[in-house]
Amino acid sequence: MSLRERLLRVARDFWVATFFLLFVPACGGQAIAELTYVCGTVPPSAPAPGVCGAGDPLLPPEPTLPTDVCQTLTSDKSFPDENNLDTARMQAALTGCKGRTVKLVSNGHNNAFVAGHLNVESVILWVDAGTTLYASRNAELYQKTGSCGLPGINDSGACQDFITLSGTRPGIVGDGIIDGQAGEPLVGHDYSWWQLSGALRAINGSIGNPTLINTASNTSGVLLYRITLHDSPKFHVKLTSVPPNGICERKGDGYIVWGITILTPRRNMNSQGLFMTPHFARNTDGVDPGTTDIATCGVIACNTISTGDDQIAIKGGHWVSDLIIAHNHFGTGHGMSIGSETYGKHTEGSVTHRGVEKVMVYDLTIDADSRPVGHDSSTADSNGIRVKSDPSRGGLVTDITFSDICMRDQANAILISTAYNPLFPGNMIPEFGRLTFENIRHVSCMELKQPVVTLEGFSARARAGPIKLDNVVIDNIGPGAVAAEFADIHLGPGRTNFVPGGPGVVLVNEMTGNGPPKECKFPKLPAPELPPDWLR
Amino acid sequence: MVRIRLRYLAPAIALLLTAIGGACSSEIAVNGSCAIDPNPELACGLASDGAFDPSLGLVGYSCTGKARPDEQATYSEGIPSGIMCADRGAVGSEGKQGYCCTTATTQCAYNPVSDCEAPTYGYQCYGANRPESVNTAIYCGQGIREENLINYCCSGTLQPDGCLQSDAVRCSPRLSGWTCSGQNRPRAEQLGANKSRADTYHLLCPVPTPAPNPVYNNYCCYPSALVPIGGSCVQHPSVPGCAPGRFGFACYGPDRPEENYLPMRCPEPGFPGRSAEGYPATLYCCDFK
Repeated sequence: MSLRERLLRVARDFWVATFFLLFVPACGGQAIAELTYVCGTVPPSAPAPGVCGAGDPLLPPEPTLPTDVCQTLTSDKSFPDENNLDTARMQAALTGCKGRTVKLVSNGHNNAFVAGHLNVESVILWVDAGTTLYASRNAELYQKTGSCGLPGINDSGACQDFITLSGTRPGIVGDGIIDGQAGEPLVGHDYSWWQLSGALRAINGSIGNPTLINTASNTSGVLLYRITLHDSPKFHVKLTSVPPNGICERKGDGYIVWGITILTPRRNMNSQGLFMTPHFARNTDGVDPGTTDIATCGVIACNTISTGDDQIAIKGGHWVSDLIIAHNHFGTGHGMSIGSETYGKHTEGSVTHRGVEKVMVYDLTIDADSRPVGHDSSTADSNGIRVKSDPSRGGLVTDITFSDICMRDQANAILISTAYNPLFPGNMIPEFGRLTFENIRHVSCMELKQPVVTLEGFSARARAGPIKLDNVVIDNIGPGAVAAEFADIHLGPGRTNFVPGGPGVVLVNEMTGNGPPKECKFPKLPAPELPPDWLR
Repeated sequence: MVRIRLRYLAPAIALLLTAIGGACSSEIAVNGSCAIDPNPELACGLASDGAFDPSLGLVGYSCTGKARPDEQATYSEGIPSGIMCADRGAVGSEGKQGYCCTTATTQCAYNPVSDCEAPTYGYQCYGANRPESVNTAIYCGQGIREENLINYCCSGTLQPDGCLQSDAVRCSPRLSGWTCSGQNRPRAEQLGANKSRADTYHLLCPVPTPAPNPVYNNYCCYPSALVPIGGSCVQHPSVPGCAPGRFGFACYGPDRPEENYLPMRCPEPGFPGRSAEGYPATLYCCDFK
């Protein structure tokens, strides 16, 4: 799009928004609920270490940077030179420093490391401030099945991870950057990891691109702290971790993700002049607990995530339990999600645990950020809260609380869906149990479409609920934007500004309060670098 | 595009002709008729404890002849509307067929011209709900999108899969092993929940290799590949002379399978023949590389 076209588009949007603001509320037959445009951002929230989460009685103390550095590796390059890889010396240091820390540091202008697959087993990798660890663009370094880096192959296991965490208390910390370079062409090819993934979009296929940071089964005590992640070829972080002694004495004993930043894409344009949008960065989930194996007793706190897929997706294909997600800020992405796999079962002694249970999500902002997500984006490109599954992969989701959450300009504010993919059959019917929403507000700024709320169980025999809505206010919502079926829904005591109804819905309305909706402020989030000649 | 639209309209046209025929002649008597039937043999609308549960919204029917209770479906602005029925087999001693149907209309229409293989029958539905959501007595297979609608093949009884994904079948790491009974071929829906995004319909499977048990065949299948727009090659399970384990294709246009399915190599030239669907095509026998 040319600069002129962009300016015309901005002007058009401004006049359309102004028209709606000035005239529609006055002349419409039906008042538009709570329509008070909330735009703008507050100054960057990036708090000084030790501030975010302080005083939260549910959280453990903020982690600290290690003091026990085993080896320090100094950069010898100023750019990710594919002919001068650091894989061997990094892996040797990581392997030789188990139980301690390997630190990557810059040396003047030399501030880059570049490597292929790395194992971080029972060791902390510290990427120092000003230093960037790049994932090599050479697909052969991640080769697993022979399909890694090849186009048109729906082989989700084709590549190794960039970094695999394993063992006891592995971690990645520091104020440096890990950059997956997924928008840049692969070595020897004219396409990137994201173009490989995008080529399978039409068939909803899954490319086997490397995960930026994965965890192996039987890992315990994972720590990710203050690190910045960019441009993962596929998921950024897949978490599988439990407390080292198997006992969840305090949340965070199993894993902690604290103070990290995910910004993907990092730039609006790659080195070849190709536009990079979140939509282009397909399947780049931010943090996914439970993807590979069980994940229990976790804390995901004080993070900032903008990406091209779910900012956080709790995967219940094994078992996820006892998780706190607190004080986080999301930009672009597909939402704070649970599912779509929820069918997991995990047996400990005589007890079988299932799906996703005992999760608290609180103090969260989800801001669509008014950034374009790509010309062919869909409504799935901006979502707030999602709990999703279907009969091909369904199971138990219960004891989940979402509270003190602000959302802006999302297509789907809240989506509880047991029909995530209606195509696939199966007898694993989703069992959505106690889902609580407290002090939730969705506001509008640039988005003119009404946000949608969906609260749907599977059938009269497999109902969802109880779904509790307590002070849930969705600005600009109307009756046509609320879909509900086969669900037991409880309203109150705080006011909710919509009344769900539909086939098989049993509604208990005990709203008594008429207090104000949650006040929302959105922090200014890290944004992609603009090309140098673009207007700012 | 024209072909697609005709396919889209076909069930509606068929329903319309059925309705016209029913209204203008005495065909109803020949085709039979349906009536609500409280016969407990139909086991319709029962909760898990065996008691009747009206909240399930189901009612029993019995029909004479070839009539079905759900034949009067309609389309309004492209959205189907009709009741949905699970067949219950013969009921009573008069040769009637039993059905367990929704009391309310759904956004699905019985499709009298579906491609479903007996004993399944077709519904065409609008929206995200699978048929099982509105009729808890029915079982349906993988949905196939057709513009804004989804086609399902359904039955009142759970149909056996016929194929099982199996690690015991030795395949290249990039292929998935399957064991199938009889003439069944692997379907992507059978990948099950272990594939997070196995949301694709096509599996590319070779000419089967006989399993040790002669009732079964083994396959090493290739998860769906990207077929470029305009690609004309479709898989053909029985290209003459194509040995077990190799992949047969029928190409309607001048393109070759390697152009459509990148991991394929087709060393021999194509030869004229007919596709599995019976149309003239150039046939190839290829290998997965």
